[in-house]
Amino acid sequence: MSLLDRKLLRDLHALKSQALAVALVMACGLAMMIMTRSLILSLETTRDAYYEAHRFAQVFARLKRAPNSVRAELSAIPGVATVQTGIAIQVTLDVPGLPEPAVGLINSLPERGEIVLNRLYVRSGRLPTGGTSVGQLAVGEAFAEAHGLKPGSTVSAVLNGTKKMFRLSGIVLSPEFVFEAPPNSALPDNKTYGVFWMPYKELATAFQLYGAFNSVSLTLAPGASERNVIAAMNRVLAPYGARGAYGRVDHPSHRRVDDEIRVLQGLSVAFPVVFLSVAAFMTNSVMSRQIALQREQIAMLKACGFSNRQVGAHYFKFSLAIVALGTGVGSAGGVFLGHQLVGMYHLFFRFPELTFLLDSRVLVVATIISALAAFIGVAGAVRRAVRLPPAEAMRPEAPASYRPALVERLGIARWFSASFRMALRNIQRRPVRSGLTCIALSLATAILIVPNSFRDGVAFVIDFQWDIVQRQTVTLSLVEPGPARALSDFRHMPGVVWAEPFRFVPVELRAGPITRRLALQGLPERGTLSRVIDAHPQQLTLPPRGIIMSAKLAEVLQLRPGDEVVARVLEGREREISVPVVGLAEDFAGMAAYMELHALNRLLLEGDLISGAHVVVDKARWSEFLAEVKNTPRLGGCIIKESLRDGFRKTTAESIGLLQKIYMLFATIVAFGIIYNSARISLSERARELATLRVLGFSRGEVGAVLVGELVLLTVAALPLGLLLGSGFAKGILASVNTETVRLPLVLTPANYAFAVLVVAVASAASALFAARKIATINLAVALKALD
Amino acid sequence: MSTAAAETLRSHGADPPTRDLVFHVRELARVYGDGTAAVTALAGVDLDLYAGELIVLLGASGSGKSTLLNQLGGLDSPTHGTLLYRGANLAEFDEKALTNFRRDAVGFVFQAYNLIPSLTARENVALITEICRSPMTPEDALSLVDLADRMDHFPAQLSGGEQQRVAIARAIAKRPEVLLCDEPTGALDVRTGITVLEAIERINRDLGTLAVIITHNAILADMADRVFTLSDGRIVNQRVNAKRGLVRSLAW
Repeated sequence: MSLLDRKLLRDLHALKSQALAVALVMACGLAMMIMTRSLILSLETTRDAYYEAHRFAQVFARLKRAPNSVRAELSAIPGVATVQTGIAIQVTLDVPGLPEPAVGLINSLPERGEIVLNRLYVRSGRLPTGGTSVGQLAVGEAFAEAHGLKPGSTVSAVLNGTKKMFRLSGIVLSPEFVFEAPPNSALPDNKTYGVFWMPYKELATAFQLYGAFNSVSLTLAPGASERNVIAAMNRVLAPYGARGAYGRVDHPSHRRVDDEIRVLQGLSVAFPVVFLSVAAFMTNSVMSRQIALQREQIAMLKACGFSNRQVGAHYFKFSLAIVALGTGVGSAGGVFLGHQLVGMYHLFFRFPELTFLLDSRVLVVATIISALAAFIGVAGAVRRAVRLPPAEAMRPEAPASYRPALVERLGIARWFSASFRMALRNIQRRPVRSGLTCIALSLATAILIVPNSFRDGVAFVIDFQWDIVQRQTVTLSLVEPGPARALSDFRHMPGVVWAEPFRFVPVELRAGPITRRLALQGLPERGTLSRVIDAHPQQLTLPPRGIIMSAKLAEVLQLRPGDEVVARVLEGREREISVPVVGLAEDFAGMAAYMELHALNRLLLEGDLISGAHVVVDKARWSEFLAEVKNTPRLGGCIIKESLRDGFRKTTAESIGLLQKIYMLFATIVAFGIIYNSARISLSERARELATLRVLGFSRGEVGAVLVGELVLLTVAALPLGLLLGSGFAKGILASVNTETVRLPLVLTPANYAFAVLVVAVASAASALFAARKIATINLAVALKALD
Repeated sequence: MSTAAAETLRSHGADPPTRDLVFHVRELARVYGDGTAAVTALAGVDLDLYAGELIVLLGASGSGKSTLLNQLGGLDSPTHGTLLYRGANLAEFDEKALTNFRRDAVGFVFQAYNLIPSLTARENVALITEICRSPMTPEDALSLVDLADRMDHFPAQLSGGEQQRVAIARAIAKRPEVLLCDEPTGALDVRTGITVLEAIERINRDLGTLAVIITHNAILADMADRVFTLSDGRIVNQRVNAKRGLVRSLAW
């Protein structure tokens, strides 16, 4: 080892706590980057391998009923590789132990041969074989887990008006249902919605669909145009009540996985950028200080014949040592946290196996980025140091020019103590350094704001979505849209206090080249249960003409109020209607579009139909109500608001909560690191001055007050700036995780600000305490001699 | 050159024309700053220094001694004038050439020692021997300054005189042609100062190194071959000692 390297090691040892503080900040940024990038890699790799191995289809369509012969027509479409047809039907379930009815989507298993597309992965048990052993179902894992169902358990399902008991033959996974959520819902509700499979013949017979299909998936030949195939499919299927074919982009499960990856991509950039910038800044302040302290040593090295390059390299190595430590700790932390988080994704996404894969490329990139951050941090200081001619560097730095601080010149200084005046002058004497410390303290405050804004955003969504927007107890939907008089049937159900109708029409909204498929909701013009709320948040009245849509949907479609949007109806008689956008609604899960119920029905030319009703139920008659729901075959779905809210709390909220805790921990470490570092630097810069004061007869407390006073003044100045900066960070980072399926509003609460201020105050107090203790240990004689 | 001077040179056993010229300095000037704030540190110095000589520079604070020494050592560049080292113009050296010059030819001793506090005595010397062409071992260099038994101490564990001797060992370990000492005893008491000066004297004598010593202390003039007195950036007096006094015998 060369002697300069040995010097490096010893200098590092002397500066270990500061070096550690910088390395930890860097490690936090890197850990986040490695964690998120590796999660992205894990999700993408697992998803792609699963899709490939289980032959996930590329184009999908639903229809009312088509004879099996149509399948040959589909196969003949140019560009189509493999076609799989079948039946998928939504039924009401009666699950043991669940008071309310659940909804099941039953898919058919091919009558003959293997499943060719969307192959199932059997987790346990086996697939129902059909033939003689009727009455068997395979169940999706999420639903099975939510209810503790195992092969051999039983559930009842109402098939075409007849309630039948089924035995579960196995628990399975499907690439079509990686994300098991009810149609038109961005949130999973595994308690009340499940996916099932049963043999074609049994299912088809029960619904008088034998010899026909209502669902088709297909894959494309290499190089085929998805657009053309979809167009051809729509032509072929049009006579059979098709709802419009769509590609993977519009596939709900696929889209949800994609959105999650997009969120991770946002987080993998935004947070690390902030943390690594802070780390670069800290490296800079530590190194500038170190280099200033070693000014004479640098001059001596140069006088003895060391070249600028050698001296520069020595100090770069110093910062690289910190980077190496930061990278090591950060990588280990990122891998550890990644492992923990992968488990969390099991809450949402059902893959046969989701294992953590370390993105090794990001390790390399992360190391380069942090080395670069350190390089930038140290480059200026090194350049200044080697540029000095040795003869000049050998002389001690010119004494700083002091002058009375501004407040003194204003004449109010006589109210302050000598210590406080000294602190003020010190700040004013070195405006750049004071400014930088102030910025560092602001950054420490700012990064504390972001994680809690996530938490508050989630809390806001929970209240907003289920207290302000949805005020019903239950949403009941009919198997098929029915006449408006059905509303009075709902109102007469036991326990129902109030009911309001709604209409759900699957549509494709189009503006220019951009399209989105969703359910257009028809609601009363100013309902009291399911309400349309704007950003303010005020309830919007649905006008007799025009459409109100989610602000996010308008953004995606690049529409503004006043613009026209084309809605293609994907149900019943296919038709296209052009409607003006008349308002924007605020919502945070999925995207929605609303019209006044009658206006919607008028446009559809279908008369007065409703798809179901939102109802308020008297809790005293709750079980009576549920029993009635279970025994009403016309009801295709029953969504209980509270269980949705619970589901959200347990999945999305929990996962965001976990991320929030990790980020909070990191932000706290960084805040402490920055503040501790600032205190250390200002202590080492002023050891001599403080020793002089002690020699002149100042008490330890009075001397401490100078240092602490300075830190307090800078902290007080930094806090408002930090809160402002933090609000900006929160806004930026939330915007980066704003997707079509899930969004978080920017909610900044006084409690959030107060917490950030508190952490910074505690960190400052702890650092001040540390500095005060250090002052006590300053050897006066040595401190005075050291810089002679 | 005066007869006395020629006599002195002869007494060293060499004729002036055949002497080995190391530095040739003419009209050397150094001005810091410009305009009204300009400070003239050197205002035209003429000087020739030969191998093996021991030179003492005397003068009050601000007389230009350190500036001259820094010019000779390649730590600073002149504003005006000629500064030849073995015929090569130092003023025209680029950064790399200056670095090599300092690395191979010059040893510095400063009043403030300038040791690396995190390295031991031996390591401080070894730091330099690592980068030069044909150094002596750190142990030999430290033995020359009588510090063989303190080699593994850190600077903080050494007295001022010991630290200064480490600095000398560090300066001479590279076997420099020139040893430049800026107030080497300025921070030391008399007794310690003597041991430091003896070390310099021995190196000058045994290794034939050209030694230039800056001092406030006029008594030291007697240990030199030649003494230059500076004032206001000029050489105002030059004295040649017919016979060099030993450090120990000087009238302290």
